[in-house]
Amino acid sequence: MTKVVVVTSGKGGVGKTTTSASFASGLARKGHQTAVIDFDVGLRNLDLIMGCERRVVYDFVNVIQGEATLGQALIRDKHCDKLSVLAASQTRDKEALRLDGVERVLRELSEMGFEYIVCDSPAGIETGALMAMHFADEALVVTNPEVSSVRDSDRILGMLSSKTQRALKGDAPIKEHLLITRYNPARVQDGQMLSLDDIQDILRIPLIGVIPESEDVLQASNQGVPAVHMEGSDVAEAYRDVVERFLGEDKPMRFTEAPKGGLLSRIFSRK
Amino acid sequence: MHAFDIKLTQAPMMALHFKLADPQAIEATLAHKLADNPGFFDGEAVLIDLNALAADAGPVDLPALCALLRRHRMNPVALRSLDPSHLAHAELSGLFVAEQPAKPQPQAQAPAAAPAAEGVREVEAVKAVPTAQPAMVVDRPLRSGQQVYARGRDLVVLAMVNPGAEVMADGHIHVYAPLRGKAIAGAKGDASARIFTTSLEAELVAIAGVYRTSDTPLPPDVQGRPAHVRLEDDRLVMAPM
Repeated sequence: MTKVVVVTSGKGGVGKTTTSASFASGLARKGHQTAVIDFDVGLRNLDLIMGCERRVVYDFVNVIQGEATLGQALIRDKHCDKLSVLAASQTRDKEALRLDGVERVLRELSEMGFEYIVCDSPAGIETGALMAMHFADEALVVTNPEVSSVRDSDRILGMLSSKTQRALKGDAPIKEHLLITRYNPARVQDGQMLSLDDIQDILRIPLIGVIPESEDVLQASNQGVPAVHMEGSDVAEAYRDVVERFLGEDKPMRFTEAPKGGLLSRIFSRK
Repeated sequence: MHAFDIKLTQAPMMALHFKLADPQAIEATLAHKLADNPGFFDGEAVLIDLNALAADAGPVDLPALCALLRRHRMNPVALRSLDPSHLAHAELSGLFVAEQPAKPQPQAQAPAAAPAAEGVREVEAVKAVPTAQPAMVVDRPLRSGQQVYARGRDLVVLAMVNPGAEVMADGHIHVYAPLRGKAIAGAKGDASARIFTTSLEAELVAIAGVYRTSDTPLPPDVQGRPAHVRLEDDRLVMAPM
């Protein structure tokens, strides 16, 4: 049974596309046929993060409007052959997205044999975000440890449980997972950032992982390589943990504690 | 000192939905219904609803109908009908004209209601008092941007009400979890409504239009603690529980 997973947040700039790229790549690395779709029509980023921007000929909107087939639009990822990317349109705007069109594309992907379809949602609560979440079976709610991100994630959780197909039809609810990104344990200790407990107190959904703040993320996107492929990086390790937990493994949370030791060791351990 | 204050209030009343206007048929039905329960009507305020009358039922003698009802210890006070010819006589009979209901009334059968017979379709208790209907129960968390309104009744919420969420009720509000959003009780003006919660952290509390934000911090004996809020002399009083 194909699973549709939406990566959403409400707030912009928290790490949805970074997460979509690494999460989808992580699933593919584990041997699962995966598709990742960019729903941010007009402001597409997924193709850049995946490093396939020069190979985009047809996009999601072309397929919805029948101007191209899925086979023509899907881009096979260079790093994992089990991963395919469906880029967003850059020239159209979100009005081009239609619910029946989206449904048809998801169904076709399922018929083509994809086990997981990752939907990279745009920020906000408008058409693009609503379309990305509408057919989801599971959701990764990406949240930064600061107040406005938590408030927006709370809003998004409200919409996941009321404006999606599962909610409207009365089916089993979407399985919600909290993914905390850009976590900096030292700043949490200083009281500048919200702690895991603070965030959990408000959002109260199961935590699937904590991605530490890291310069590796910027490097990865500059290179067009999803962060999960950067060997030796904490971010890569954290995303791999997320994928394993998603697939049912029980892994203890890492990267949640500030490094111990004196000032010097802290300086030298900064990445 | 004013002689009186004007406040919004509500009181229960019965509605009789007439299918026939013939006095004999009505007397027969009343006799049938009251046979088992002679004291059923005890001066109750009654709304005469003529919307179910058959088209060929003929003219309705409102004064005579009112007299008949009074003889049976009912107190006709209101009339409801889409037919203007009925409404024309309302004032003459001392009846006020009630609005048409927006949608079918909730079925709250009066305790001794016999099965429907010819003259009177059913004795339906039109309950307007906020606490007469069972409370609305919400058992999922209310997230930022979500709203719940318990119309005409109390509200019970079993999970947290997050900042940015709004819970409203015409009656009381009970939140058995942190209350962090807005709580508006007595939304239609019932000043006896109260707000109860196991952890008071609300952005705003209001009872019958009197409100308070958390801009001024809540008193320490209730902030984040089990508390209840009530209205006393138009002031919100918050007390720990």
